[in-house]
Amino acid sequence: MTAAPDTQGKTATPQVMDKWRRRGLQAFLAITAFVWLVPLLWAFYTSLRPFSDTAERGYVSIGGTYNFDNYTQAWTDSEMLKFFINTMWITIPAVILILFFASMAAFALSRFSFRFNLLLLMIFTAGNLLPQQVIITPLYRMFLALPLPEFLSPSGVFYDSYFGIITIHVAFQMGFATFVLSNYMKALPGDLNEAAFVDGASVWRQYWNIILPLTRPPLAALAVLMFTWIYNDFFWALVLMVTGDQRPITSALQNLNGTFFTNNNLVAAGSLLAAIPTLVVFAVLQRQFVAGLTLGSTKG
Amino acid sequence: MTHPEEPLDTSGTQISRRNLLKGVAAGAGVLAAPALLAACGDDDEAATTTAAAASGGDTEAPMASGTVSVGSNASDPLTKDAYAAMFARFEEKNPDVTLAINTVDHNTFQEQINTYLQGRPDDAFTWFAGYRMQFFADKGLSTSINDVWDTIGANYASSFKQASTGLDGNQYFVPFITYPWALFYRKSFFADNGYTIPTTIDELKTLSEGMMADGFVPIAFGDKDGWPAMGTFDYLNMRVNGYQYHVDLMAHREKWNDDRTKQVFATWAELLPYHQPGALGRTWQDAAQTVANKEAGMYLLGMFVGEQFQEVSQEARDDLDFFAFPEINPDHGQDSVDAPIDGFMISKAPENIDGAKELLKFIGTGEAQKFYTDANSNWLATANDADTSGYDALQNKGAELIASASNIAQFLDRDTRPDFASTVVLPSIQTFLNNPEDINGLTDSMEEQAVAIFTE
Repeated sequence: MTAAPDTQGKTATPQVMDKWRRRGLQAFLAITAFVWLVPLLWAFYTSLRPFSDTAERGYVSIGGTYNFDNYTQAWTDSEMLKFFINTMWITIPAVILILFFASMAAFALSRFSFRFNLLLLMIFTAGNLLPQQVIITPLYRMFLALPLPEFLSPSGVFYDSYFGIITIHVAFQMGFATFVLSNYMKALPGDLNEAAFVDGASVWRQYWNIILPLTRPPLAALAVLMFTWIYNDFFWALVLMVTGDQRPITSALQNLNGTFFTNNNLVAAGSLLAAIPTLVVFAVLQRQFVAGLTLGSTKG
Repeated sequence: MTHPEEPLDTSGTQISRRNLLKGVAAGAGVLAAPALLAACGDDDEAATTTAAAASGGDTEAPMASGTVSVGSNASDPLTKDAYAAMFARFEEKNPDVTLAINTVDHNTFQEQINTYLQGRPDDAFTWFAGYRMQFFADKGLSTSINDVWDTIGANYASSFKQASTGLDGNQYFVPFITYPWALFYRKSFFADNGYTIPTTIDELKTLSEGMMADGFVPIAFGDKDGWPAMGTFDYLNMRVNGYQYHVDLMAHREKWNDDRTKQVFATWAELLPYHQPGALGRTWQDAAQTVANKEAGMYLLGMFVGEQFQEVSQEARDDLDFFAFPEINPDHGQDSVDAPIDGFMISKAPENIDGAKELLKFIGTGEAQKFYTDANSNWLATANDADTSGYDALQNKGAELIASASNIAQFLDRDTRPDFASTVVLPSIQTFLNNPEDINGLTDSMEEQAVAIFTE
């Protein structure tokens, strides 16, 4: 796996060998990282060039004009800000609700022992295994039939409303969030609850003031994950929304395409713009994100 | 437009919207979902009849007023603006009517059409003529508009009315814009090299030999997305066997393993050496670019190819010209054209049917269509009274081509069942392009699948 040559390994002192191993590993990692970044860098490079240049010279070429025109055009043509705000109307409430409900479920499942405790957790986890698409037909029918008050949905039903989309996101992401959170909470010492109970704390107080503050790392990690997943979602809005003006950001990119003709350079610029919010969220919460990846892996 | 029942294409690694979508679709089965839902539409037929009957009573004094909602797939800025100007003109002429436009991007609109029409569709919506329209009309998801045709009928050639008529003989569609398919080339390229326009298949072959001798690719070709090559099949079939056979084959009244169908593939196989190799890995845009760069001589495609030339440079766009697909069988000459039509329909139970019909009557005028053809010079108006003064040379020639044709086809994926076009014809043509030897095996397999799909 490392690039350290054999001859050196035989004769060199352990320290020297370590040094070479380390260098080999770093070279390997650098190359791998570069290979991963190539498509992104290429998209960035392409996005800086006007279509006429790449059309004449090909995408693998140097020269011509370089500027940020594609970015300004993508931003205005796709009305990206409007669709970005739409996405936030879905993503932020959904993430908050998921974390709130999942933490309550996880609290009950992990901190109390009762008969159907494990079964319930299994049901939550099993919900995760179900491919979302299999329920789309009944869900579509249900959404058309379920009424909602006017202030929650202009259409009067779940269909074609943010409320409906948020609901289905919450329903589907709850399973995973509950699973992760309950594993984390199980690892917290049981004495905490007992001590609080002895001091007269209600169940709500035990949850809100004792356990929840201790669960901050997985909550932050989940928030990042959920944000990314819901931000990138495209399926539910495709089937369950009809109002073009309310669509999420994934459809803004499609506004950049003509009926037949696609300016790939423009789309590259738009795609990179659309990717920025997830990158920002990741950068801000990076530490929690990495910690979150291994959460629950040692328990359960 | 023609392309899109986008097939699952797993070959795409390039970052483009379509591939991105397809990637999502392949992973998530998005495409399967609308198909599943298609089966659920039957219970809604009653609604159509009621709506139609109710409107029938009102026609004596159709004073249109109120709000009409319109579902539009015109999402790119150019088209969106053209539509906006046209709709504004309509409101100006009908001060009592307000339009509420719901613009959904083109691709999404197409993919969700099933759920859209069964759910809460807008009163009027953009769609395509031919079988694509008939399919939904037949499912009771659209309201017939014979009375609109009483008004606009005189303004259309009979072929357009035919393309707007459902399987039950009623009209469901008002044609808005269209564009022809033909062999496109650069005038300067032909002039510089002394090439002449071929009118028969033999002349086309001679011309191609000459281009190859000069070191050019005679016919540019790209079929990565699967649909462009359907245009070649359409033309070969209409030239070899005639329009009627083509239509019958599309409706599966003729067999795919018929000798006449095999003759189409055999003719294609003869022409393949003149086509750009490696077509399955090339998009139409890349293929068109080789014509723009004068590396290839000609390209059989829709007039939308002009958009690509426009983006390259105005000079390239001005240099673009086309000629009709050459004659193969003297019985049929060059009498048929592939010219897909985009237009408007009314959903099954519109809230404002009088307003929607009034809008469709306006859509069926040259005045309305001019807004579009002025904005995008790669499309043509469909109404007889269209003002063509704003047309450029290419548009004028396209209009002539369509006017001179005895028969107009809508393009393969609009002329037959969408599921048959995308799951059988598309991959079969790609198989053929990979291996043009086994025509018998290919056509037998196509026929077998056609039987399965059409007898469902």
